[in-house]
Amino acid sequence: MSTARATAPSGTTGNPIRDSALARVPETLEEIIALNSAVWTRSLVSASLLEVLRLRNARTVNCVFCKAVRYEVAREDGLTEERASMVDANYEGSALSPREKLAVALADAYLGFPAGMSPELAARLQREFTPEQLASMFVALMTFNFTSRTAVSIGGMPEGPLPVTVLPRAATSG
Amino acid sequence: MSEPLSPTSIDLDRALAAAGTPAASFARLWQSLWVAPYVSAELLELCRLTLARLHRDAAELGAPNPHLDAGTPGAARRAAVLGGIVHRTDGFSGAERAVLQFAECYGLDAQRIPDETADAVKASLGEAGLVFLIEALGCLDGRIRTARCLRDLGRSAAGVHA
Repeated sequence: MSTARATAPSGTTGNPIRDSALARVPETLEEIIALNSAVWTRSLVSASLLEVLRLRNARTVNCVFCKAVRYEVAREDGLTEERASMVDANYEGSALSPREKLAVALADAYLGFPAGMSPELAARLQREFTPEQLASMFVALMTFNFTSRTAVSIGGMPEGPLPVTVLPRAATSG
Repeated sequence: MSEPLSPTSIDLDRALAAAGTPAASFARLWQSLWVAPYVSAELLELCRLTLARLHRDAAELGAPNPHLDAGTPGAARRAAVLGGIVHRTDGFSGAERAVLQFAECYGLDAQRIPDETADAVKASLGEAGLVFLIEALGCLDGRIRTARCLRDLGRSAAGVHA
């Protein structure tokens, strides 16, 4: 495990964001908590689709913590552990739904360097999702991406994988 | 998307407003970055330009930033950032060099930021300042990425292919 470059203040609240090093910055902490909550409770796509985006981001960024987490609200929406495991390099041939596969492709377009998408992918996304849903998925992707990259930049992560941890619905309430 | 065909990180919130509450929250977070006490708005703008340069994003590089006075940052400082030569250009403080070096490393690979680069930021900004900078860079980079994708979607909707 590397040494963390910043540590959480003492004390635990049960909220994973409030209990992290992000609590060092009171000017942004409450809004980040509100944002994470809003993404999980007010997005315009299903929780399972959000979880597909989040897992694709987590595996691309290689955030050990994010990769180990599962959101209960997404499991209840049908993204079982078996289906979550399909969000990998071979997702196109998996049993993920066409919308879920498009969500993975959207995440890959966002996560590329530089980011961007082909006209073909853009057209497929626009046939499948409304503009409001696409906007919603981008907000979710930005949220997942900046929080996971914050975690890897701060460091202190274990080298190997962690056991899967299910975050209860209450963890999304802020 | 009916909103701007060519959004950048600066005006992205208009393009995402249709997403409702989460988009409004992300917009508030974005606004808060420019008034937080750890990194000046000018230095944050230089970080944005650093990331835009790494993305080779001409639209981003040309976007005026309403959080800054006209002419800020100055032409020489802006040119040094866009040329990737801050480390050998006069007119930057040690803290500014540390932050911009961190931004460069973050943009290239957030997993491989050297300890000495992070330590230099921490020595200048403190632990809270380092965490703030990491958060801000994540927001900046994410907005640049989303704006690029939205421009591609806009071109597709308009039947225009690059």
